[in-house]
Amino acid sequence: MSPAGREVTITIDGREVSAIEGEMLHDAARKGDVEIPYFCYEPKLGDPVGACRMCLVEIEGIPKLQTSCSTPVREGMVVHTRTEQVKHAQSAVVEFLLVNHPLDCPVCDKGGECPLQDISYGWGPGKSRVIDEKRHFEKPIELSPLVAIDRERCILCYRCVRFSQEVSEDAQLQLLDRGDRTYVGTFDDRPYVAPFHGNITDICPVGALTNYTYRFRARPWDIEHAGSVCTLCPSQCNVSFTVRDEKVKRVISRDNAEVDDGWLCDRGRYGFEMFDAPERITGPRLKGGDETGWEQAIAKAAEGLRAAADSSHSGVGSKSVAAIVGDASNEEGFLLQRLLRDALGSPHIDSRPSRGPKASVLRRLNEPKISAKVSDIDEADAILVLGTDPLHSSPILDLRVRKAIRRNGAKLVVATERPTALDGGAEAIARFAPGQAAHFVGELAGALGGRENVATPISGTLADAEKVVVIWGERIARENGAAEALLEVASAVGMSGSEGSGLLEIPDTTNARGLREAGCLPDAGPGLAETTAGMATEEIRKGLISGEVAGLILFGADPLRDFPDTPAWEEALTAADFIVCWSMHENGTTAKADVVFPLETHAEKDGTVTHPDGRLQRVRPSAGRPGDIRPNVLVLSDLAANLGLVTGIDSQPTAFAALTEAVSFYNGIEDEQIGGRGLRWQDRDSSTADLAKNVVMDEQRDAPTSVVQPDPTPRGVPSSDSVATPHSDGSLLLGTYRDLWAGPITELNPPLKFLTPQQRVEISTADADRLGLRSGDRVRVSQNGAGVEAEVHVKERVSKGVVFMAEGVLDGNANALRGGGPVQVQIEKLSEVRA
Amino acid sequence: MAHRLEKRVLLEHAEDPALRTLDGYRRLAGGYETLERAYKEMEQDEVLKELEDSGLRGRGGAGFAMGKKASFLPRGDMAKYLCCNADESEPGAFKDRELMQRNPHQLIEGIAIAALAADAGHAFIFIRGEYDEQADILDAAVAEAYEAGYLGTNILGCHRDLELVVHRGAGAYICGEETALLDALEGKRGNPRLKPPFPAVQGLYGGPTLINNVETLSNVPHIVRRGAEWFKGFGTEQSPGTKVVSISGGVKRPGNYEVELGIPTRELICDLAGGPEDGHEIKAFFPGGSSSPVLKAEEGLDLPYSFEAMAEAGSMLGSGSIIVCDDRVSIPHLALRTARFYHHESCGKCAPCREGTNWTVKMLERMVRGEATPLDLDIVSSVQQNIIGHCLCVLGDSMAMPVGAMVRKFREEFEAVMENPELVLDPHAVVQAPPETLGASA
Amino acid sequence: MSPVDGPGISNPNLPVDPAVREGRVPGRAEEEIPELHEVDCPPELQERIETLMGRYPDRRSASIPALWAVQERYGWCTPEGVRQAAAVMRVTPAYLESVASFYDLLHTKPVGRHRIEVCTNISCWMRGGDRLLDAFKAAAEGDEDFFVTGFECLGACDIAPMASINQRYYGPLEAAEAGTAIEQLRADAEVLPEKNLAKRGLAGDS
Repeated sequence: MSPAGREVTITIDGREVSAIEGEMLHDAARKGDVEIPYFCYEPKLGDPVGACRMCLVEIEGIPKLQTSCSTPVREGMVVHTRTEQVKHAQSAVVEFLLVNHPLDCPVCDKGGECPLQDISYGWGPGKSRVIDEKRHFEKPIELSPLVAIDRERCILCYRCVRFSQEVSEDAQLQLLDRGDRTYVGTFDDRPYVAPFHGNITDICPVGALTNYTYRFRARPWDIEHAGSVCTLCPSQCNVSFTVRDEKVKRVISRDNAEVDDGWLCDRGRYGFEMFDAPERITGPRLKGGDETGWEQAIAKAAEGLRAAADSSHSGVGSKSVAAIVGDASNEEGFLLQRLLRDALGSPHIDSRPSRGPKASVLRRLNEPKISAKVSDIDEADAILVLGTDPLHSSPILDLRVRKAIRRNGAKLVVATERPTALDGGAEAIARFAPGQAAHFVGELAGALGGRENVATPISGTLADAEKVVVIWGERIARENGAAEALLEVASAVGMSGSEGSGLLEIPDTTNARGLREAGCLPDAGPGLAETTAGMATEEIRKGLISGEVAGLILFGADPLRDFPDTPAWEEALTAADFIVCWSMHENGTTAKADVVFPLETHAEKDGTVTHPDGRLQRVRPSAGRPGDIRPNVLVLSDLAANLGLVTGIDSQPTAFAALTEAVSFYNGIEDEQIGGRGLRWQDRDSSTADLAKNVVMDEQRDAPTSVVQPDPTPRGVPSSDSVATPHSDGSLLLGTYRDLWAGPITELNPPLKFLTPQQRVEISTADADRLGLRSGDRVRVSQNGAGVEAEVHVKERVSKGVVFMAEGVLDGNANALRGGGPVQVQIEKLSEVRA
Repeated sequence: MAHRLEKRVLLEHAEDPALRTLDGYRRLAGGYETLERAYKEMEQDEVLKELEDSGLRGRGGAGFAMGKKASFLPRGDMAKYLCCNADESEPGAFKDRELMQRNPHQLIEGIAIAALAADAGHAFIFIRGEYDEQADILDAAVAEAYEAGYLGTNILGCHRDLELVVHRGAGAYICGEETALLDALEGKRGNPRLKPPFPAVQGLYGGPTLINNVETLSNVPHIVRRGAEWFKGFGTEQSPGTKVVSISGGVKRPGNYEVELGIPTRELICDLAGGPEDGHEIKAFFPGGSSSPVLKAEEGLDLPYSFEAMAEAGSMLGSGSIIVCDDRVSIPHLALRTARFYHHESCGKCAPCREGTNWTVKMLERMVRGEATPLDLDIVSSVQQNIIGHCLCVLGDSMAMPVGAMVRKFREEFEAVMENPELVLDPHAVVQAPPETLGASA
Repeated sequence: MSPVDGPGISNPNLPVDPAVREGRVPGRAEEEIPELHEVDCPPELQERIETLMGRYPDRRSASIPALWAVQERYGWCTPEGVRQAAAVMRVTPAYLESVASFYDLLHTKPVGRHRIEVCTNISCWMRGGDRLLDAFKAAAEGDEDFFVTGFECLGACDIAPMASINQRYYGPLEAAEAGTAIEQLRADAEVLPEKNLAKRGLAGDS
């Protein structure tokens, strides 16, 4: 928290230091290059606690020594940090901390990177006077399957419990007992299961909390650090890989205040063993499993794609190859759209799992004046979380919102289908039925204009606030008119005129924004420029089935698992003539491919990605590429060459140069400018001008409709007591969501296997009672003959008439049911839970 | 009938069980008349002035001027709170118990008037969980006060509200520390907070809060009724008023005695409490509970019992609780018993107290077992010095000062015991005296 | 720590914790705030806790009173009882357990229903408190109905050595009276009437 105050001058150890009035003495000292040892002080964790007493200093005028971490500076303060009194106190405190601390250094993972070691050495008495027995605990024990806790080593600095109370707010980690018997633990010794709990191993200043994944793996002098960006979700947190012998051994945060605030979620932190998983595809292969050389594979792929492009099953001039891009860097995306458009002459490329807004709307959404950056959340007066649960879709933003509420008094309103983890801190909550997002957002725009409707409970908070940040889920834009309505909301709260207000999108895939801006859209080229319109994802699927599309490129996309309507995609992939697939590991989709190429992970890739708020970030190769994996930028370039297109791209720098040239608002960005902290293209002076150059103002083209048409499959009018009116046949409306742990992340990383989600159907207490169901019962959820098995999970906050299931789960994937829109499902009990 | 040396103000009529009831309180002590006058006729500043002029010092241990503390609360519309610290857990102190048990309405009236001075709308009595019987008595008295209209909304038609909640603790000495009390009242573990900010400005739920001891608040109706000048007529200039003193240990008549501050300590211990048991002499005593450095008999008996005299002698009056140690008490064992208390009660938040208390206990245990050397004695002294002034709250100091004093003043005893632990015939110290000499049964 | 696999199963009056039934499987157990329908809270307990919550400007202040209520209902702060209180108060069970474990009078392990706390602090120690504690322990040996423990200063040094028996103070006690008190408790008779603190007068009264 940065105090905005006047500058004052204080004196530390005889030197004058400039500080800001009200900031903590400890911070001021650090800025003035004065080192004061400390353990418990961590501003990210909230107010100082002054518990460790390590930072005691002498302040003239106050007889007792004061903790510098909790003393705000005032003009003229005179501080001494090296007097005999202070040194005596520091030595005493170190001695006290070591009274019961075990001499574990030789076997402790923290050794070599341990603040307690460093401070004991620098400020401690040097010799121990303790000959009594130290206190004992059973050690180490599992705090969770990922984190080991050694309570004897704990110096009770409170950091981990403060994290649990004040940052992730899961309040599961607590102190128990009192005095020197105090220890850190959970309720009834149960495992600490929470998606951020890995952070406590980063902030623990001793070896009390360590990762099982890094246990006894390396000493600090064995390893190297390499910085990159995690691409496992749209949060794009900055990470630092701890690498030994070219293999990633550990992932820690690289602390970027503009992106992740120094935290990581457990996915990014523990999802690294899959880099070396045996399931990994390490070289190109052909259908049937035959491994082949790179040249042959590229030649075969080119041959098949050319054949598909030339064939025409329905009419003259029909372009027959399509591409769907998922997990890719900006450069890879750029090359793919060049491949498709210029080498294969096809306009059918998309980077979204389902429908999305037209390019014209996207351009308006992209306007810098209504774009928020992540750090805008910190200062927001009101935050609207719309149509998404950040905990699942972009975890680090969940922490950011909590921080804004807690530290800055931001007011939160939530408008979603499904209960979110942030509900507890919201001023007002609105629920709409699955499929009714567009209607709701339209109502919200109206409410902000003064109309009384279902959105009124949340509109008041937004209307009263000066800085409004709207965090919205990309998937609401799958509905017609939703994105337009969102723009109306932005206009209604005066977003473009308010500094610090804006929209922040949470897309479905990590680099969705970068791929869009690189041109992986059916109706826009690089820089969102106008281009010949092609088919979008769902049209591609229909085209494959009808035969209009014969060839398919899938780059980092697994439609059979991740896209809605699995049966339709099954049909589509089977019908395709030729499929080229890039994937990290084998799955249902790669089984259908004719040529499979390996995909690089974010520890191997060299490229840029674009954060949903527009920040270009650098993914850097940090570990060795297993097997025969080659950089895909070169592979795509080779493939293009085989198809007759000379791209001139033979390295990352040339790829980057081509990208920045083609994307108008990236023009002139240099690699050094991106550096280790990234660069928002909107923050560059020329950006607005450039955008205006290429953006066709759509005011005249697409006259904004004043009445938003709801989705043509209405399933009940949102009312105050039930979001969806129950159907006469007793069926319920199904909504789906992407669970944080659903996906290969838990299947390919052995330490994360215990988190593999089982399919659950979340149901309200009222509906559960009506159907005679209890949590734990097994049921079959079916629709039109297709069904999946799931376990019942009764939740109070789920609206009546609606149920929720997770997408992407291996067994019982909800995507198997959806027919392209929210569907009515029947629930049939299979077995009951034991009483 | 009270002892001639007693000056009963707070304990006046306390021998009559009827005093506990609202009717009895009204009848015997003119109860609630002062509340009525204060609410109907006095302004906040008037009440504050009376309290400040009286010079009433906190009776819970710190001895800070009560009126001045109340004046620190900011003015304004925000919610303000008053907390009555009834968490009496200091070894040797049992005066608040007596006051709450026998005269609960006096406390309630005091709280209501003090709430006027602080402009508080919500008051809490934080009573230690072990005082279950006294809490029940308070519950009943509070209910009576509500019914009579002295608490609740629009008290006596004066457009003032005051909600009073009796909140039972659950057993932790540290909750007697005012900021730890606030945390416990907020429903958390009783850990002390950093000061500044002080509770007067940022206390309960972050709002301005006045925290006072039971005895302090019990004085308020009397001061407001009879005036500051009347109050200053008792005691000394720096320690005005009466004090309910708890005396226990090696004396014939342990109990609570209300006296004028400044009374010679010898009169308290030897006259009022009957002095040491036959055949024994006083070796030393704690003047202000176990947190005060012990005074040898020759050092302390002839001092006046007042805040200033005790401070000058290198000790403190504290909560006004005297524990007398006679010649049978082995000081090293006493030191161990004292250290064990603080070790048990340390909240564990800061390292010097948490580790210092357990280290001191371990060393003293070795000493009384004969497994220590004079070097260990120096280490014990050094550890106490390392604790003092470095902790988050005063609990660490509360062990370090008395233990340090004991080692300093009785070093030969420590050395003798370390050399030969069998010197202490009965580590359980004093044998129980015959029942007849122990206070009258009603 | 709380031994859930003890009286929780064999004692039909105690609520059974799902961790006992389903096991402590990580990944499934979400120890976030339990919902009311998951915990089966007795209506009287819920009502009592809700009343307590209403007395304070901030409902969290009712933590200790709510834990007292759970302890009164179940004899100690059972894990399931703590979950019930957590569901009513909308806090995590970990939070309540953390609070309970800090305080001496709240028990996170099963204890006998007769609680005897013998003071062993300075004044009582000087007058035989340790021996009194030994006497009580000997008299209650092996009987699960009794919970005997030493305790710090109970604020009754005037009747040293003393004990708090089922929340009432008795003293000054001789070692022999320990056995008498235990017998009286077993027989449901009045405990040591002449030694009850409530019956004493002011010390200064002759």
